[in-house]
Amino acid sequence: MKFVDPRHDCPRDPWHTVGGEDGPLVTITPASHLLLTLPQWHSVRATWPVTKPVAVSVPNDTDIEELAADLPQLAMVALQFPKWTDGRAYSQARLLRSRYRYRGEVRATGDVLVDMAPLLARTGFDVAVLRHDQSPEAAANTLAFFGQGHYQADVAEHRPLYARNA
Amino acid sequence: MYQYTEFDRRFVHQRAAQFRDQLTRNLAGALSDDDFRPLRLQNGWYIQRHAPMLRVAVPYGELSSRQLRQLAKIAREDDRGYGHFTTRQNLQFNWIPLVKSADVMDKLAAVDMHGIQTSGNCIRNITSDALAGVAPDERVDPRPYCEILRQWSTLHPEFAFLPRKFKIAVSGAVEDRAATAWHDIGLHLLRNEAGEVGFKVLVGGGMGRTPVIGTTIRDFVPWQQILVFIEAIVRVYNRYGRRDNMYKARIKILVKAEGQKFIDAVEKEYRDILNLDTDGDAQIVTQAELDRVSACFTLPEGVAARASTGDGAPAEAPVAYRKWLERNVHGHKLAGYKAVTLSLKRAGQAPGDITDRQMELAADLSDRYSAGELRVTHDQNLLLPWVRESELYALWQAARDASFATPNIGLLTDMIACPGGDFCGLANARSIPIAEQLTERYADLDELYDIGDIDLHISGCINSCGHHHSGHIGVLGVDKDGSEWYQLTLGGSDGSTLSGGLAAAVPGKVIGPSFAADEVADAIEAVIETYRSQRVAANERFIDTVRRVGIDPFKTAANKVRRSTAREAA
Repeated sequence: MKFVDPRHDCPRDPWHTVGGEDGPLVTITPASHLLLTLPQWHSVRATWPVTKPVAVSVPNDTDIEELAADLPQLAMVALQFPKWTDGRAYSQARLLRSRYRYRGEVRATGDVLVDMAPLLARTGFDVAVLRHDQSPEAAANTLAFFGQGHYQADVAEHRPLYARNA
Repeated sequence: MYQYTEFDRRFVHQRAAQFRDQLTRNLAGALSDDDFRPLRLQNGWYIQRHAPMLRVAVPYGELSSRQLRQLAKIAREDDRGYGHFTTRQNLQFNWIPLVKSADVMDKLAAVDMHGIQTSGNCIRNITSDALAGVAPDERVDPRPYCEILRQWSTLHPEFAFLPRKFKIAVSGAVEDRAATAWHDIGLHLLRNEAGEVGFKVLVGGGMGRTPVIGTTIRDFVPWQQILVFIEAIVRVYNRYGRRDNMYKARIKILVKAEGQKFIDAVEKEYRDILNLDTDGDAQIVTQAELDRVSACFTLPEGVAARASTGDGAPAEAPVAYRKWLERNVHGHKLAGYKAVTLSLKRAGQAPGDITDRQMELAADLSDRYSAGELRVTHDQNLLLPWVRESELYALWQAARDASFATPNIGLLTDMIACPGGDFCGLANARSIPIAEQLTERYADLDELYDIGDIDLHISGCINSCGHHHSGHIGVLGVDKDGSEWYQLTLGGSDGSTLSGGLAAAVPGKVIGPSFAADEVADAIEAVIETYRSQRVAANERFIDTVRRVGIDPFKTAANKVRRSTAREAA
């Protein structure tokens, strides 16, 4: 799992948004590594060139099913945690991976705390853009505690404990 | 009872280590109190009125004497010498400083215990019938299924931050002793016509501000698929449950608002998991796993059916013993055995409270008379599940010496009560003084027996930890202008046979404006006296009289005791 520290990693993180997220739609010129809002993506998806990696940021109350047909075009899906205790994006990520077999990047954005890392890793996220006050080192440390695995199946381990032992 | 594997044991130690790391970062200032809060809650640590409260999980109410001794040790060394058993079969400590919390988690892990998911907006400790595995009316022993559900729900990564808390109760008997209709998910184990084991599934029951009885979503889910079915329910809830208002965030609101649409969504999700998901069918519970877990729930060593040889009582055994046999001793599926309740409802102690010394005495009784096993009951008592009939008299004498033998199970003083405003930061009013007044007032056993079977439930606030909605008499603490008031409800039912069965589970009806603190006991007495004068036969029970005559006569009688609230009621 990769942790992006927005204070320091931004220059190295290729993804960037296009202004006007809350205002009227802006005209979008295809370019590499654009992270679009859902309405922005809908306005360009029919003509987006396959050579330009593109991503979309999906609110946590969006039915992920609506994105299914677009997934082959998307290099990355950014899921949102408006508050870290709002767990809807865990289900979105799990469905992206387990049901729609999405193989692009799934990143966690918003109010992302280091202590979410174990849950993010197990539900299919591979990148977490941490909240500004969170440390990537501390996040990595939180992944160290359950070395033998967990009881139930998840995205990283498809079989529950009893099936692994069988 | 379930025997921890090496995996289970390492797991609780790893969880304790994870908690220690979080606590250390919090104490060092690297993890803010606000961000630490949900993390500590999911390990059972609340910040309460006086100190943190720790809620220790007792999975489906099963406890060993060794575990109870360790709880006694924690009570003595880290708390102020006592604990409190809850309606959800857990144990709460009230006085442990937060700086000691990680050490206490290690002490719990040493006896295969923890506080995982005893609080927070996640799947809570799974509760069951205190007579599971021993009840004569049992269709299927729920304990292996409870354990499989415990493992599935423990640190489920997708469901750690649900809209609100989520409670599952499982019953495997004809009689519902787990109040399943009042849970987010209620499960009834049964056999279909082909003799196959499965679950009837209820969803969307709950108490709080909006009491709702669960809706049957499926009459039969084969046991192999129960995890898939529950995963489907919880996923639909996680995605669509309300998060904008914490009072409307429980699954009951979603089920009520969406009705059939909710049921259709769950059924579709269930099919999709099995048909579409990567290894979706890996969630199907295997016979091998059920067999492995079930092997833990065979008869304890030294327990086997035996010819009944009497109870060892002398011909002139005291009346108190006869009454104890009547109220505290329960039928057993195994010939020659009984289940025995150790009453935690007695004068001088709050309902469900137990001192460190009493915990040790109960552990001793369980070693001596019940194969070292105990149960925590939904009614906040302890129960010994494996008592030989021939040892009943000896057990009674020992239990009496340890103050566990009050013969009041199912009677008025065997009331449910939350810790209330004496301890709880959420409470609007105190519960314990009301319980105390009633315990003193109804100390006379003859009077108690004359009143007969009755469920009295007291909650200090609308969160309903004292299950006031399901009490035949419910008492709810409310706050008006900074003082304590109490609303009385009548005719609630938990879905037990006494209360009219599962179909009759219903919240009680409020009888008029709230009563002042100094009026409540009198009002309850007036309600009881009304019952005694209105019942058509000595064996018509309180709940039946309330149903027959309605609440008006009770309301009229209760209104007569109003003093400070007289004007308001008029």
